[in-house]
Amino acid sequence: MFGTTLLAAGTSGAVLIELGAVLLVLAVLGRLAARAELPSIPLYLVAGLLLGEGSAIPLDASTEFIRIGADLGVVMLLLLLGLEYQPEELTAGLRANWKAGLVDLVSSFTPGYLAGVIMGWSQPAAVLLGGITYISSSGIIAKLLGELERLGNRETPVILSILVIEDIVMAVFLPLTGVLLVGASPLEGALSIAVALLVVAIAFVIALKWSSPLSRVLHSRSPELLLLTVLGLTLLVAGLAEEVQVSAAVGAFLLGVMLSGQIAERGRELLLPIRDVFGGLFFVFFGLQVDPGTLAPALLPALVLALVTGATKAGTGWWAAKQAGIGVPGRKRVAASLIPRGEFSIVIAGIGMAAGVEPDLGPTAASYVLTLAIVGSLAMRFVHGRGRGSKRSATAASGS
Amino acid sequence: MEVFETRLPGIGIRYEFTSSTNDHLGVLVRRDGRRDLVLYDHDDPDSCSFSLELNAEESAVLVEMLGGSKVTERVGDLRHEVEGLSIEWVTMPATGGLTGRTIGDGGIRSATGASVVAVIRGATSVPGPGPEFLFETGDVALVTGSVEGVHAAARLLAG
Repeated sequence: MFGTTLLAAGTSGAVLIELGAVLLVLAVLGRLAARAELPSIPLYLVAGLLLGEGSAIPLDASTEFIRIGADLGVVMLLLLLGLEYQPEELTAGLRANWKAGLVDLVSSFTPGYLAGVIMGWSQPAAVLLGGITYISSSGIIAKLLGELERLGNRETPVILSILVIEDIVMAVFLPLTGVLLVGASPLEGALSIAVALLVVAIAFVIALKWSSPLSRVLHSRSPELLLLTVLGLTLLVAGLAEEVQVSAAVGAFLLGVMLSGQIAERGRELLLPIRDVFGGLFFVFFGLQVDPGTLAPALLPALVLALVTGATKAGTGWWAAKQAGIGVPGRKRVAASLIPRGEFSIVIAGIGMAAGVEPDLGPTAASYVLTLAIVGSLAMRFVHGRGRGSKRSATAASGS
Repeated sequence: MEVFETRLPGIGIRYEFTSSTNDHLGVLVRRDGRRDLVLYDHDDPDSCSFSLELNAEESAVLVEMLGGSKVTERVGDLRHEVEGLSIEWVTMPATGGLTGRTIGDGGIRSATGASVVAVIRGATSVPGPGPEFLFETGDVALVTGSVEGVHAAARLLAG
C-alpha cells in the first residue's frame, strides 16, 4: 500500500527515482562487463529484462520517459555512426567490396528469413528476422579491434568495408520494411517504396556533392550552439524521415553522413555522452518489452539461428579475406570478427515490436543478440589470443 | 621507396612500406589526430607484432627527432644566435585551420608578419615552401617571426 503511493505513476519524484536507479544499474553492469572483457550491450538488455513486465522489479513511473528516450537512443546511435563516415568512404567501399557485401547479404539474411517462414511468421516479420541475422554490430567490432590493437592489421580494411556495406544496405532495408509493416495495397506499397528510396537517394547525392558547404554553414565555434544545431537538425530530419516512411534511424544516419569535417569531428565529441545515455535506455526499453517468461521457448530457435548465421558470417569473412590476399591467420581473424551482432539487430527488432508484427520476434531477437554478442566477442579474443601465443613462442624459440 | 596507402572507413588512413632491412612498417593516421606506429609480424605478415599509439603532440616530436635532422639543427643554431626571434612547430589538424589549403590562401605573411620556413611531412621535409604549398593533415610547419607574429600564425594554421 505504502509502496504504491510512494511510486504512484506520474509524480516526478517517482520518475526521477526510477530513472536514477536504471542508470545506476547500467553503470554497475557496464563495469561488470568491462571487468569480464565483454561488450556492454548484452548486459543492458539483461537489465531491461530484469526490470520489465512480468519480472522481479517492474518499472512503472518512468516507462513513458524511457520509451521516448529509446527513440532518441536509436536516432543518436545512427547519427553517430553516420558521423564516423565521410561520404566518399561509402562510395569507395561499395565500389571496391560489393562482391563481399553481396555474399554477406545473401548468406546471412537468408537463414533468418527462412527461419521466420518455417516458424510460420508473417512475411514482414520474417524479413525483419533476416535483417536481424544479417547485420553485424559495428559498435562491438570496432571497439574490440581497437582494444586488441588490430586497427593497423592488414586484414582490418576487409572487416571495415563489409561493415560499411552493411550500413548502406540498412539505409535501404529500413525504409523497405517500414513500407512492408504498414501493410498497404501493392500499388500504394510500390509508391511508398519509390518515395522512400528516392528520399534516400537524394540524401546520398546531397551528402556526396554538398557535404562540405553544408557543414561549413552549420558549424559554430561555440560548443553549446553547435550541440543545439546538430541535435535540433537531427531530431527534425529523423522525425520528417519517419513521417515519409524512411524511418527516423535512416534519416539520422544519412544526416550524419552529410555532415563532415569540423562539425562532424566536434559534433561526435559533444554527442557521444548523449548517445551513451539514451542508447543505454534504448537497450533497456527493448528488454522491458520482452517478458522474461517468453525467453525460454524462443531460446532453441535463437540458438540454432545463432549457430547457422555465426557460421555463415565466419565463412563470408574467410572468403572475403582470401579474396583480398590475406593469409590463413588473418582469415581466421576476419571470420571471427564478423560474428558479433548487437545494436542494429536490436534496432530492427525494435521496429518490428513497435509495429506488433509477431509476438515471438522480441524474445527471439533478444536471445539471438545476447548469444552472438557474447560468443562473437569471445571468438574475436580467442582467435587473437591464439595468434599472439604462437607468435610469442616463435620469438622465444628463435631467441634461444 | 614505395609507400602504400589504404583507407580505413570511419578511422582514417594507413600508410605502409618495407624498409631496406626488410621490416614492414605502418603508420595509422587517425582522423582524431592520433597516430599508431605499427610493425608487421614476420610470421603472420597481416598482423602487427608491435603497435604504439601516439597523440598529435607526441607524433610531432617523434617526427622532429626522426625526420628533419637538418632543420632541427638549424633551429637549434637560430635559437642561440638571434634574440627576439620566435620559432614554433605547428602540427596541422585533421580538419580546420589551413589543412587542405595553401600557404597563400592563409595569407600568413601579410596577416602576421611571420613566415613558414619549412614543412615536415612524414619522413620528408620541404624547406622554403612557396605560397602554392598545400597543407595536409599531420604536416608539421616551422614558423618563425616575432613572438606575436608566430602566435598569430600558429592560430591561423591550426585553426
